[in-house]
Amino acid sequence: MSKSKTLGWHLFLIVICLIAVLPVVFMLSNSFKTLRESYHSILQLIPLHPTLSNYKTLMQEVNLFGLIWNTFFMATLVTFGKIFSSMLAASAFQYYDFRWKKTLYFIFVATIFVPFTTIMIPNYLVIAKLNLLNTVVGVVLPQLCDATGIMLFTKALEKIPASLLEVAAIDGIPRWRIFVNLLIPMLRPNIISIGAMFFINSWNEYVWPTLILKDKNSFTLPLALQNYISSEGGTNFPLAMALSSIMIVVPLVIYILFQRFILNSISSTGLK
Amino acid sequence: MENGIKIELKAVSKNFKKTKIIKEMDLLVNPGEFLVLLGPSGCGKSTTLRMIAGLESVSAGEVLFDGKNAQKMTSLQKNIAMVFQDYALYPNMTVSQNLEYALKVHKVEVDVRKQRINKILKTLDLIKVANNYPSQLSGGQKQRTALGRGMIKQSRLFLLDEPLSNIDVQLREKARDEIQYIHQQNQQTIIYVTHDQTEAMALGDRIAVMDNGKIQMVATPDEIYNHPRNLFVAKFIGSPQINLIAAKVNNNCLNKGKLQLVNDLKQITAYQFQEEEEIYFGIRPENIQLTAPKKEHVVGIVTQITDYGRYQQIIVEIATDLTLKVISNDTTTQVGDEVGVVFNTDKILLFDTQNGMNLN
Repeated sequence: MSKSKTLGWHLFLIVICLIAVLPVVFMLSNSFKTLRESYHSILQLIPLHPTLSNYKTLMQEVNLFGLIWNTFFMATLVTFGKIFSSMLAASAFQYYDFRWKKTLYFIFVATIFVPFTTIMIPNYLVIAKLNLLNTVVGVVLPQLCDATGIMLFTKALEKIPASLLEVAAIDGIPRWRIFVNLLIPMLRPNIISIGAMFFINSWNEYVWPTLILKDKNSFTLPLALQNYISSEGGTNFPLAMALSSIMIVVPLVIYILFQRFILNSISSTGLK
Repeated sequence: MENGIKIELKAVSKNFKKTKIIKEMDLLVNPGEFLVLLGPSGCGKSTTLRMIAGLESVSAGEVLFDGKNAQKMTSLQKNIAMVFQDYALYPNMTVSQNLEYALKVHKVEVDVRKQRINKILKTLDLIKVANNYPSQLSGGQKQRTALGRGMIKQSRLFLLDEPLSNIDVQLREKARDEIQYIHQQNQQTIIYVTHDQTEAMALGDRIAVMDNGKIQMVATPDEIYNHPRNLFVAKFIGSPQINLIAAKVNNNCLNKGKLQLVNDLKQITAYQFQEEEEIYFGIRPENIQLTAPKKEHVVGIVTQITDYGRYQQIIVEIATDLTLKVISNDTTTQVGDEVGVVFNTDKILLFDTQNGMNLN
């Protein structure tokens, strides 16, 4: 490739990166502005009079640790539940022969393409009928199964040679032992990467918890954020940005810790 | 350790969808016997082994372990060990852990476990790599670990599916010795699948030669080589391949055109031939002598000599459409020489052209 062409590509990619990063910088910058400054110069990237007042207010006004704990607790439950159910289902698809297997797999995978908004109401009705509104179980339960996970784990299991499990079967190793001692350790990179994606998705989940949770004590971070940007809670923009900045810390840490696995997993499954 | 188990296959068939992979196979493996299943790839030898192991279902017929239907036995009752071509070592466990895992799951006492592991590590020269993971092992070490994992169970039946095909030729010979040593020590029944005839000859008490889902012959290596039951076995065993010439019976003689290959058929076989019947004349390359050409000899011209050091492979052209491969230790023969060809009458093999059966 010629030098000018390379330069052109680099410039193009730099612009793309800037577009991607700008909202985050914008968020961080406004979280350090006063309400007044943010009204006057919302696009000013470096605050003229940086202040921590928004963070202090948040500490006083909301139960930050409670919010973080609620979000963390639900995201963790959802992540472990999804990983466990996806691995079990994927093992069944990979290792058992049963009628309509391929059709069933196709239907499962097809559900990935069903928009959440279309199943939101039926899910809500089921949860309501089960008397689970306003409970953690109500938020977590419909999220425990996930076709994306099943598909990713089925693909991962395809790469494990059948002979490994055959040796175990001949040696009379019980199935649960094969699952715990062999499959889980062998799929560790996949579990970490898929788990991290599940966790981040669940951490950011907004619509479903909004529908289910009414008690402020069990609110998650995205719900609390709503208070500062809705007509109901007023629009204290710098406060909302401060809360947003706090909200991204945990997913960011997870991403940084497991970046290697996440990137590998995405590039190897072709899921982009 | 208990003695080896008796394995019987009775009219066993295996179908994959509509294709018959194994066709009504009968086979008896005696207790403590080392039986080799030998055949070209796709002949169904691995499928047969997998059916014995219980990894493949049997479409028809029965697999019996000491007279009991194996399909109704659990893997613990069967007490089998198996080594796979790709070794199938647990990647998340070290060599020692790979050896120990099955024993641990079945709650064999720690002392017994340690004792057996140490013995195997020593026997198979794996002490140095005992704490290495499979990804850190060489091909030979992986193969020995897989063997060790099979040995440690002290099972009554040891199944090996082409365990040496992924390692270097030099290592293969050493591994062959190890497998033989294991068998001599343990006296368990061994069924060993390979497509390599040298391996089969070296290891097997008996060899079952398979082709196209059927057993063509089960016999000792000597019998298989010298008295093949049919044309397939004759051609499949032996390197260089047996010389085969289609010839006609004529007045107790066997002729190819004007050439007389056999002058007294009755001396070779009691089989009653019909006049003008076409049969195959077979002779292995080492059973032909080259001499100075005389009147009574089949005469030919040497067209090619390949020196293998230990012996020479000489190609002799008898006619434009008829060449013979000869193995000889005589280094004086030159390309272009006219030679007389003498067949060792005792070693001549005759086959039916229709069904390929041996007529000797």
